[in-house]
Amino acid sequence: MNLNPEFQRQLYLEYSPARLMGVPSVLGIIFSFSYFLDGYQWGVSTAQTALTLFMLITLLWGARQCMDSIIEEYRENTWDTQRLSALGAWEMCWGKLFGSTVMVWYGGLLCLVVYSLAIDHLSSLPLLLSYCVCIALLGQSGSLLLGLLAVQRGQSKSSSIFVLAVLIFLSCWPWLTNIANLADPISQPISQHTTTWYDISIDQQIFMQISLVLALFWCSIGNYRLMTQELGIRTTPWAWLGFNLFLIIYLGGLIPNSSFSFSLATFMTCAILTYAGLLVERHDAMRIKRLLTYFKQGLWQRGCEEMPIWWLSFVLTLPAALVLNFSEHAAFRGFSDLMHFYPLAMVLILLRDCATYLYFSYSNNPQRAMSMTLLVGVLFYGIIPGMFNLMGQSGLAALFFPLWADSSLTALIFALIQTGFIVYLLYQRWRSTT
Amino acid sequence: MPGKPSFNKPMIFVNHLTFEYPGLRALDDVSFHIKQGSITALVGPNGAGKTTLLRCMAALEQPVSGSIQIAGIDVLEHPRESHRNIGYLSDFFGLYQRLTVRQCLHFVARAQGIADTDCEAAIDEVSRRLHINDRLQMRPGELSRGLRQRVAIAQAIIHKPRLLLLDEPASGLDPEARHELAELFLDLQRSGMTLLVSSHILAELEAYSTDMLVLRQGRIVEQVGIKGTTQHKPFKMLLAHPVENLSGVLLQLPAITVIKIEHNTLALLQIPNDAQQQHAVLKSLLTLDLPICEFAPDASHLQDAYLQTIKQPS
Repeated sequence: MNLNPEFQRQLYLEYSPARLMGVPSVLGIIFSFSYFLDGYQWGVSTAQTALTLFMLITLLWGARQCMDSIIEEYRENTWDTQRLSALGAWEMCWGKLFGSTVMVWYGGLLCLVVYSLAIDHLSSLPLLLSYCVCIALLGQSGSLLLGLLAVQRGQSKSSSIFVLAVLIFLSCWPWLTNIANLADPISQPISQHTTTWYDISIDQQIFMQISLVLALFWCSIGNYRLMTQELGIRTTPWAWLGFNLFLIIYLGGLIPNSSFSFSLATFMTCAILTYAGLLVERHDAMRIKRLLTYFKQGLWQRGCEEMPIWWLSFVLTLPAALVLNFSEHAAFRGFSDLMHFYPLAMVLILLRDCATYLYFSYSNNPQRAMSMTLLVGVLFYGIIPGMFNLMGQSGLAALFFPLWADSSLTALIFALIQTGFIVYLLYQRWRSTT
Repeated sequence: MPGKPSFNKPMIFVNHLTFEYPGLRALDDVSFHIKQGSITALVGPNGAGKTTLLRCMAALEQPVSGSIQIAGIDVLEHPRESHRNIGYLSDFFGLYQRLTVRQCLHFVARAQGIADTDCEAAIDEVSRRLHINDRLQMRPGELSRGLRQRVAIAQAIIHKPRLLLLDEPASGLDPEARHELAELFLDLQRSGMTLLVSSHILAELEAYSTDMLVLRQGRIVEQVGIKGTTQHKPFKMLLAHPVENLSGVLLQLPAITVIKIEHNTLALLQIPNDAQQQHAVLKSLLTLDLPICEFAPDASHLQDAYLQTIKQPS
């Protein structure tokens, strides 16, 4: 049988008779305790234990397995063997995702079987199971994504990334524990919970389920894209553009509808995605040189393939900022008495922040780029303008934090000065590096 | 196997290849071509760009500019397609420590597109060729360095690539293992494979290389055929004491070509690769009354050629 080779390799690694017997044995002991707690029957405690164990097994153990499936390759110098294979990006992704978690799913499914036997409201079981499976897949897929990003940055230790995954897991824990209630039709009457999306009322559970499936879809696309990059398959950044447009439309529907909601959704989403795109990619000064070389040679397709993804998000913020800048809506006059909403100045501040990060990324110690940029951010956003404000020099404060300026033109000029200065420094560093 | 070697048809075309690391040009406008069925020694000092060149050719690194064609496929445009024609052994290769040798080979065979039904035959063939057929149930961690190297080479050739790129394949191997490796490379060449071998051990390269590509500071300094001509052979002649104007004396013999003369006592000559003619040349040399104390095939031809090349100003 021609199985996916990567899936088969993971099976070689994961499957063993000892594990096959060990997992149900350990779970059996735990469920025996909950059985005693429930008064010699399978009741609420058993159901709660089964659901908690499912989450722990599929999200923590599963996330670890997925992450290691890629980082271990890099650590043990076998990644080149995989990169030189004839396997495609999808094959590689799903082979790692499902192969590395085969024992995880074995344990998880045993938990779900116990849960199904322990609950009373069987009518909501399919909904709950679909939630559980989708959340687990999302967690594992997200973990693989983090692993791929780590490999791109040359990180071979999974512990720090795993801590990040655990933090995400813990922050989602209250929502995860609420799943059983969400799926319970008695405690959560369906008719009382609706979500309005572009004036359409949608049942909250259905909306959440669709959102979960969409998140899983985009996570898979992200994995696929990163894998294609790792395998040297050249593609233009259409996936990132698609993700930007999707989020604009998706989030735009959640903002109360008005003439500006779409522009605001575009502006906010693309600004956040500019930062996100900047942080997830590896920044190599030579990449810009390659890109410029391709453009110089008229190889537009090749140039687009080398284009950093944050450029796309940044370009999308520009028209939205222009529309918002000329909008007269009251919501845009200011965040408070002191701070104002100047979209064009904000776009320049966004560019300044990106340039600052790149400036540190092109240094001899690019690992410190993030911490150094945060330090500069604290100075520019807080300490320096705050100090001038305390001294009553609000004009000088606005020079460092343009949103404190009294007029949009002043803010724009101050933002231009800052951005111009940082971009000049960045250009000088790029020149000296290349 | 790739079929009968056709020595005149180029397998590799590299054109104006430039690769840069931040602040360092690792490959500077590199252009060359390599004939099908040859074994080319890629030599050069540390940091010359050998590994970068091999990684670019294996489509593992993206150059700033230039193009690479292997077996007619543009490597930079179609990296996945080109991988079917390429086998690559990295300097720092890794093996799956938790799998057996058989499982490692099975995975690579499947990942290279060999159907499951054909895998056993492919594993059997490659393991016999590399003399690891009795180690298939062992894990790489249980093997010696030489055997691990063999497993890694087996992984690189299991899909019968037309080109094998090897980065320092003999490092860390004992003399016996090196000799076996040389025999293996010659065997692969005979079966039609083209090999590009990067190594520091020139004496070992000499045993099997047909061509030499010298890389220095990211540039190709020289590309020469070592065993390209089978009609002539390098010979070393050592004299008991210096003979004045040795070069002029030797020029009297039309059958020989003087490659190098050192201190009028040592001469490196190119003479016909035929026993009768070699006898005639030696007889002529003795007729010239030269105090010959040693006359033998030169064993350090590659090393000399390399050192001569590398000493030239860039």
